[in-house]
Amino acid sequence: MVYLAGFHWVWLVISLLLGLAMGWIAVVHRGRGLSRSTARWLSVMILALIVAAVMHVVPGRFGYWLDLGLVMLGVYLVGCAVGSWLRDGVVSRQSSGGSTEHSSGTL
Amino acid sequence: MRGFFRWSGKWWPGIIPLTVLWGLAAWTTTAPLEADLSAQAAAALKDSVLDKTTISAAGRDITFSADAFSEQERSNAVASVEAVPGVRRVNDRTALVAEAKPFVWTIERGVGKVTLGGSAPLPVVRNKLLDAARARFAGIDIADRMDLKRGASPRFEAAAILLIGETSKLKTGKATISDLTVNLSGMARELGGREAIAAALKNLPEGYSVADDIQAPPYVFEANKDPVSGVLTLTGYVPDNAIHAAIVASAGRKFGEKIVDKLKASLGAPAGFDAVVTRALRSLSRLSTGRLVVSDRNVELSGDALYDLAGKQIRADLPKDLPRGWETKTDVSVKPSASPVDPTVCQQLFGELLERRTIQFEAGQATLLLDSIGLLDQLTETALRCQTGIIEIVGHTDSDGDASFNQTLSERRAQAVVDFLVKAGLPPNRFTPIGHGSTQPIAANDTDEGKAKNRRIDFIVRQ
Repeated sequence: MVYLAGFHWVWLVISLLLGLAMGWIAVVHRGRGLSRSTARWLSVMILALIVAAVMHVVPGRFGYWLDLGLVMLGVYLVGCAVGSWLRDGVVSRQSSGGSTEHSSGTL
Repeated sequence: MRGFFRWSGKWWPGIIPLTVLWGLAAWTTTAPLEADLSAQAAAALKDSVLDKTTISAAGRDITFSADAFSEQERSNAVASVEAVPGVRRVNDRTALVAEAKPFVWTIERGVGKVTLGGSAPLPVVRNKLLDAARARFAGIDIADRMDLKRGASPRFEAAAILLIGETSKLKTGKATISDLTVNLSGMARELGGREAIAAALKNLPEGYSVADDIQAPPYVFEANKDPVSGVLTLTGYVPDNAIHAAIVASAGRKFGEKIVDKLKASLGAPAGFDAVVTRALRSLSRLSTGRLVVSDRNVELSGDALYDLAGKQIRADLPKDLPRGWETKTDVSVKPSASPVDPTVCQQLFGELLERRTIQFEAGQATLLLDSIGLLDQLTETALRCQTGIIEIVGHTDSDGDASFNQTLSERRAQAVVDFLVKAGLPPNRFTPIGHGSTQPIAANDTDEGKAKNRRIDFIVRQ
C-alpha cells in the first residue's frame, strides 16, 4: 500500500482534492441524495470488491486496476468527508451569526 | 452524525470524474509500474545463482520462472521476489535444475575449433571453463554447447580445467568426464605429447580414474647408407643425448662411411628403441646400399646385400633378434655380382677396405665382434671376385701379454676369419690362415693408439 501511495501520489492527491470539493458542495447541495437501498447496495458492492482485492482474487492487471480504483475511491471518500465536515463548520458559524440563507432541510 | 450520512448521499456525482481519473491513472501507470516491479525483482535476484531466469509482471503480479541448483536456493529466490515492495502475488514457476546421471562433460578439439559440451554444475563453473579454454586455445573458435545440470562429482572443476590444458596438447581429440571416469583420446600435436599428457593426467583430483588412448605422430628414426658418396645419414629422433651418443658411436663401429648426424632428441620413443636401432643398424651395415626406417615399433630395412648368404641371413635374423611386439619388414635383394678381378686389383681392394677399419674381436679371444660383420661382408664380396690366387689371412696382435699366447691368438683369429669366409661359400683351399703374434708391428706399442693399429688382420693375395 505504501508502494502504491508512493507510486501514485499525484493521482491520489487529485482524488483527494476532488473528494474535498465534492464534500464541500454536498453540504449545501439541494438535489436528491442516494436512496437508502441504493446506498446499501453500493456499500455491499464496494465491500465485496475490497474483499476481492484483499483476497487477491482478481489476477494480473485487473487486480492492479481494482486495487488502484479502491485506493482512489478511499482517498476520494476521505476527501469528501473532510470537505463536508469543513463546510458544515463554516455554515454553522454563519447560521449562529444570524444568517438565514441556509436551512438544514433536504437540498 | 446524521448530517454526515445525509451529506454522504450526495457525494456520488464526484464518482464520475473519479472514474475518469481512475481510467487515466490505469492507462498511464500500468506499464511503468510493471517495468519498475520487474526491475526490482531482478535486482532482488542479483546474488542468486539461477539458470534460465525470466521475470514478467502483469499489474502487481510477478511471474517468476528459473532453474535453481538447490532447493534452498530456489525457495530463497522466490522469497526475495515476494519481498519486493509493491508485489502482490508471485506466480512461482521455478524448478530445480535437472540432475544428470551420469554427469558427463566433454571437450572436443577439432581442426580450428574447440567445442565444450555436456553439462556444467554452475554458471560460474561454466564461465571458468570457457575462460580456461579461451586462454589455452588462443585464436581458436570456442563453441559452448554446455548445459547446466546438477550431479557433478566433487572437484569436477579442477578435473575439467586440467583436461582443457591437456586437450590443448592434442592436434585433434576428445576428453570426456563421466562422473569419476576420464577418457582422453586423440592425436598428440608433438612427439612426446602422449607421454607428457599421461604424466599430467596423474595430477587429476583424487578419485578420478583415467583411460587414455592418445596417438602420437610416429617416432621415426632413419638411416641411409649411400656407398657412392660414402655417407651414412642418420635422421629422425632419439630419446635423449646419452642414447644419441651411444647410437652414433655404435654406427661408427659398424660402418666405414662418414656419418652425417641429423638426429634430434625427443620424448615418445617406444620401449627398447635404442637396442632395436643398434641391432637394425648392424643389418644395415651388411648392405651395399640400404635404408633403415624405424617408425614406432615397425622396422623397415631395404637395400642390397653383398652376396647371397648375407641376404638370407639378414632376412632371417633381424626379425628373430627384435623384441616381442616389434614388426619387421625386410626388402633385401642381393647386389648383382661384380666382375672378377685379377690378384693385383684384388689386393688393392682388400687394402682399401682394411685401410680405415680393422676386423674386431672380443678382447683376448678369437671371437669376431658382430660390429665387424659389415666389413667382413665387404671382404667376402671382394674375395668372391678374386677367383685366382691364394689369399693369406694374417693375424697380428699388440705386444701386451705373453708372446706365445699372442702367437696362438693371432693364428686363431686368422682362422676365425677364414671360417667366416668359408661359411659364406668360398672354398677353404683358397685361404691360408697365418699368425704372426706381435712380431710384425706397424706402429709403436707404447700407446693405446699404436697397439690398436697393431691388432689387425691383413689380407695378402699370392699369385
